Amino acid sequence: MDFQQRAGQCSSAPPGVQAGAAYTGRVTATPRSTTHASPRRAERQPPWLAPALALAVLAWPATGHGADPSAAPAAASAAAMPLPAAQAPGPAASPASVSGTGQRIYADMQPRLLQVRTLLKTQDSQSSVGSAFLVTPEGHLITNYHVVSSYALAPQRHRLVYATVDGQQGALDLLAIDVVHDLALLKPADPAPLRGRGAVPFRPADAEPERGARIFSLGNPLDVGFAVTEGAYNGLAERHYLPTLFFGGSLSAGMSGGPALDSQGRLVGVNVAARRDGEQVSFLVPGALAQALLARGRNAKPITQPVHAEIERQLLAHQDGLVARFVGQPWRAAGHPRYRIPVPQENFSRCWGSGAPAGTRGVVFERSDCTMDSAVFIDERLRTGAISVRHETYDGSRIGALRFQQRYTASFDNEHMGGPDGHRVAAQCTERTVAAGGGLPMRAVVCLQAYKKLPALVDLTVLTTSLDGETTGVQGRLDALGLSLDSARLLTRHYLEGFGWTPAAPKTGSR
Amino acid sequence: MDTGRPEDRLALIELIDRDGRVRRTLDVHAWPVSLGRALDNTLVLDDPHVAPHHATLAPDADGLLQLQVGASRNGVQVGPRRLPAGTQAPLAEASALLQLGGQRLRVRLAGAPVAPELPLARPVAVGRALWAMLAAWVLVQAGHRWLRLDPGADFVEWLPWLLGLPTGLALWCGLWALGSKLFRHGFDFASHAAIALAWLLVWEVLDAVLPLAAAAAGWPLPWLAWRQWGLALITTLLLRAHLRQVLPQHPRAINLGLGLLLVAGIGVNGMLNLRHLGRVFNEPYMSALPPPALRLGGTVPVPALADDLPALHQALQQRAREAVLRDGDEDEPR
Repeated sequence: MDFQQRAGQCSSAPPGVQAGAAYTGRVTATPRSTTHASPRRAERQPPWLAPALALAVLAWPATGHGADPSAAPAAASAAAMPLPAAQAPGPAASPASVSGTGQRIYADMQPRLLQVRTLLKTQDSQSSVGSAFLVTPEGHLITNYHVVSSYALAPQRHRLVYATVDGQQGALDLLAIDVVHDLALLKPADPAPLRGRGAVPFRPADAEPERGARIFSLGNPLDVGFAVTEGAYNGLAERHYLPTLFFGGSLSAGMSGGPALDSQGRLVGVNVAARRDGEQVSFLVPGALAQALLARGRNAKPITQPVHAEIERQLLAHQDGLVARFVGQPWRAAGHPRYRIPVPQENFSRCWGSGAPAGTRGVVFERSDCTMDSAVFIDERLRTGAISVRHETYDGSRIGALRFQQRYTASFDNEHMGGPDGHRVAAQCTERTVAAGGGLPMRAVVCLQAYKKLPALVDLTVLTTSLDGETTGVQGRLDALGLSLDSARLLTRHYLEGFGWTPAAPKTGSR
Repeated sequence: MDTGRPEDRLALIELIDRDGRVRRTLDVHAWPVSLGRALDNTLVLDDPHVAPHHATLAPDADGLLQLQVGASRNGVQVGPRRLPAGTQAPLAEASALLQLGGQRLRVRLAGAPVAPELPLARPVAVGRALWAMLAAWVLVQAGHRWLRLDPGADFVEWLPWLLGLPTGLALWCGLWALGSKLFRHGFDFASHAAIALAWLLVWEVLDAVLPLAAAAAGWPLPWLAWRQWGLALITTLLLRAHLRQVLPQHPRAINLGLGLLLVAGIGVNGMLNLRHLGRVFNEPYMSALPPPALRLGGTVPVPALADDLPALHQALQQRAREAVLRDGDEDEPR
């Protein structure tokens, strides 16, 4: 809607995403709805830890380098120093020797840690790599769905293999996926080589680690080699619709699907994503979800057909729940003197505001972007499930009705509706002048976009603009990805009926 | 030999130049008339592609004028027909067009009916009307600029428009006037300026009225069509007017060519959109908004809009199915 910078809308990626792209190579796309939400801000969806080899990571500066010339050599030598010689791993490591705990955990867990590679059937070259870990003595493995998504979507073109720390290799079968929480359950085709390695124990559900407790994340970052990184447990990430643990440590591409363990070696969560616009802001899927997937899928038959129908089923269930919860809560007030504007509650969405610079001679506008952190990874080029709501209010009393009309129309024109891509056909729209709350006349455009292989799902865009003011107005846009038709209808009504006049709106002739 | 009395003239042979004008004429007082490069011909044609004795014109026993082609390698083109050496053909028409080598000749016979006088091409607008159109257009452009600038804008922000637009217009008209100079030997700047201004004004009026009317009534269709093809339509009409000024002798060819171009362009554009986007129009929705006072269409309740979605969904699913078929059985998402 930003009438001033049309070009900036879809092309400019936020700085955070660009940094992420430099880091992981493949994790560049954000859900469409947020791509043009607010180009200035670093606040983004976390990039998934898709495993690709981008050695830019080596060039990342360590904190403190260069800040103090005397400290720099010390820091550099510290960084270059080998880890302290292995001490006898005491059964109860003292709190002072944290790295000792890390060593013990790595020593205990490395037989249960694996690398999962997705290979192209025809040429035996890696199309992606990630990590996984044993959860049963018979060899069941947990990893992320996104590590095995190429296989899950096209099993006839790919195969899955594992590699252990000690160099064992073998073929893997995919048993079950939880696409919404980004988990997958695997089993080796021949369990013999993995027998006797034990399993990573799950934490009891009622025993949450304390905030700030050290936890240890294992995996094979960037295919460089198996590694353990430690960080702080920070509880659930706030305002995430999907339960996600906030891990205060570094995760790199390739560690996806690896386990994050407490100091007793029990599973806290599964490595899944990291934010590239911050430092040590990483995310884990709670271990209980992995446990649930294991319980559900441990006796399942191996998947040999594309899983689109299963993805569709899981997304529909998830999205219907999400939409029901979304429409179940009242809209938050935007605080506009004339218009009632629907703004989502902040319990699982983040809103960012911006506005025209103070003292502008032109139209005065305020803008709010709300995005819900509920995006679901389908494949490298497709994220779905996000809901975003944004609005702009305009006050053109300084420029007069004619000029206001020009800006206001240009802003309404400056909107992109989804074009065709590999997964979707182009959006189709319907438009009408509707009477929103209290009879407020609004032009409303509703567009749907269909998925080629997930036929029950649609992406919804509702674009609307008030028509009652000569020099004042509000324009809003809602994007919701991967919904059922019924949810789309529900959300359309809920959103448009959220607009209206405030009780205090001046009852002018135009009202 | 051109000394006879006009009433004794049997025919007139005209040598036509590349612009279709008569360069030389030959009064014919006696048949036969021989044509060729040799000096003993009645009409000497100095053209390397013409034979020394290329052709002869003489009436036969019935008084019908016959063309006898001599020892020529290239023969003679009579209208659409090419006559090889040694052949003979009657020149039936009252004024026949012959081509010998690179020379075009017209043979006009005495007694043949003469085409009526054509009116002189008049400039589209002259003097005051031209200046009035210019003033109207400049005012409209200034209005556009005013609308886009915030109040209190620096005068520098007007400069690109004030300098650029008149320069552009002058350049456009100048180029067309050069075309007139080339084909009609007159640098007809005023006529082209009048044509350009007239169509620019038509554009401005329609482009102001149509979207506003569509927005006021709440009808997306005319707005979508105008947004997509309006400019092409007006540009075609503008080109047609300029071309007819430059080449007044070919109105049908101009109409046909531009008409085909426009229809083909619109057709191809619409077809590609249908294929790519599943709709004829580029724009997914009408973005013109009516000012409150001009909002004539009524409103519908919100659920009515939500009720449009199932039909939309069905059409989309159909397209998705077609797309899957088109993509083939390749399961790798791309």
